[in-house]
Amino acid sequence: MLSLLIISIPVGFIGSLTGLGGASILIPIMVFFGIPVKVAIASAMVSVIATSSGSASAYVRERLANVKVAMYLEVFTSIGAIIGATITTFIPAVYLYFFFAAFLATSFLQVRGRRETAQGEGANRLSRRLELEGAYFDEAKQRSVAYVADRPVLGGLGMMVAGLAAGMLGIGAGAFKVTVQENILKLPPKVASATSNFIVGMTALAGTSVYLFSGLLNLTLMAPMAVGTTIGAVIGGRVLNRLSGGILRLLFYFVVSVLIAQMLYKGVVSW
Amino acid sequence: MVKQSTAEREGRLEGAIGRLLISGVILSLLLEVAGIVLFYLSNGNVAIAAGGLAFVRSETFFTFLSELFAGKGSEGWAIRFMSLGVAVLILTPYLRAVFSVVFFAARRNVKYFLMTLFVVIVLTISLLYH
Repeated sequence: MLSLLIISIPVGFIGSLTGLGGASILIPIMVFFGIPVKVAIASAMVSVIATSSGSASAYVRERLANVKVAMYLEVFTSIGAIIGATITTFIPAVYLYFFFAAFLATSFLQVRGRRETAQGEGANRLSRRLELEGAYFDEAKQRSVAYVADRPVLGGLGMMVAGLAAGMLGIGAGAFKVTVQENILKLPPKVASATSNFIVGMTALAGTSVYLFSGLLNLTLMAPMAVGTTIGAVIGGRVLNRLSGGILRLLFYFVVSVLIAQMLYKGVVSW
Repeated sequence: MVKQSTAEREGRLEGAIGRLLISGVILSLLLEVAGIVLFYLSNGNVAIAAGGLAFVRSETFFTFLSELFAGKGSEGWAIRFMSLGVAVLILTPYLRAVFSVVFFAARRNVKYFLMTLFVVIVLTISLLYH
């Protein structure tokens, strides 16, 4: 447990810097050390609640996270997560290695929202009716930025997929959620990542509610993982702004490639 | 004027949610740390347990809670503390959801009342019937 705790701190740190989250990195590591993949998934899912709720609380108070958008999207992610987690308890473990690798690969495809969100423009009537709008104070621009979410139905479906993957793989799927919010809902990047953190906690709870009774959740794995990744994530959140984008990108590509390779290797040898 | 008070009230919801989340997380992590320390004190090591008690296996979340308080598994205080940590961790976002339902009901915001209520119902069913 001590070594897992010690590993979890830098993992939480890197997870927070790269936006992958601690669980996405820790699950392949645990699998490498011979822990059954389903047990790793179930135990990691619980630690995701801690990491994301911890960082979400800061964003909510800074009013970066949009609570209403989060609650609308949670309707979709929580259902997705319950279905996903239920699938995992049934299917042969070997498939999970490939799903995990495939989902990690989708993080390469992320197109970071480069464009400024067109304020008011393209603002869907349904979005207004659902009150999916808000404003935040941008420190860099020194002014308040208002926004309205675009295409709420498509965004909801995207979030259902995110929830499904999160529940199935025991991860937060935060990066995927940010991609959906930036590219479909057209939310400003800062709002998207803050809101995503908030939603991840609820999605992880939905997934955990399934794993709690599956007999897959190992407390002696979960405890050090939750403590370590949360500490690491808190430190990561503090230094994030001081690191250059180039180093982060390099770190991201390196970590994701190693993780994909590890899961594919494990999948192939246990086929 | 009206708009400002709306924003203010939503600000209060956000503040309360922020405090709820951080207190829940800190409390549960302290319980996990206590669990790890107790595990070391009673077993003389902190090896990852491969089976038996270390795995959570209950019918529903409520039986999980009641077994915890009834002292099932009292042979291992370490495991009890860790389980309690999990329970607190689960209750943190759950209470956040319940709290939002009450908030939107009080504000008579029917759309968000229904949306948050739906999430709470789904979560409750999932906690009860797995």
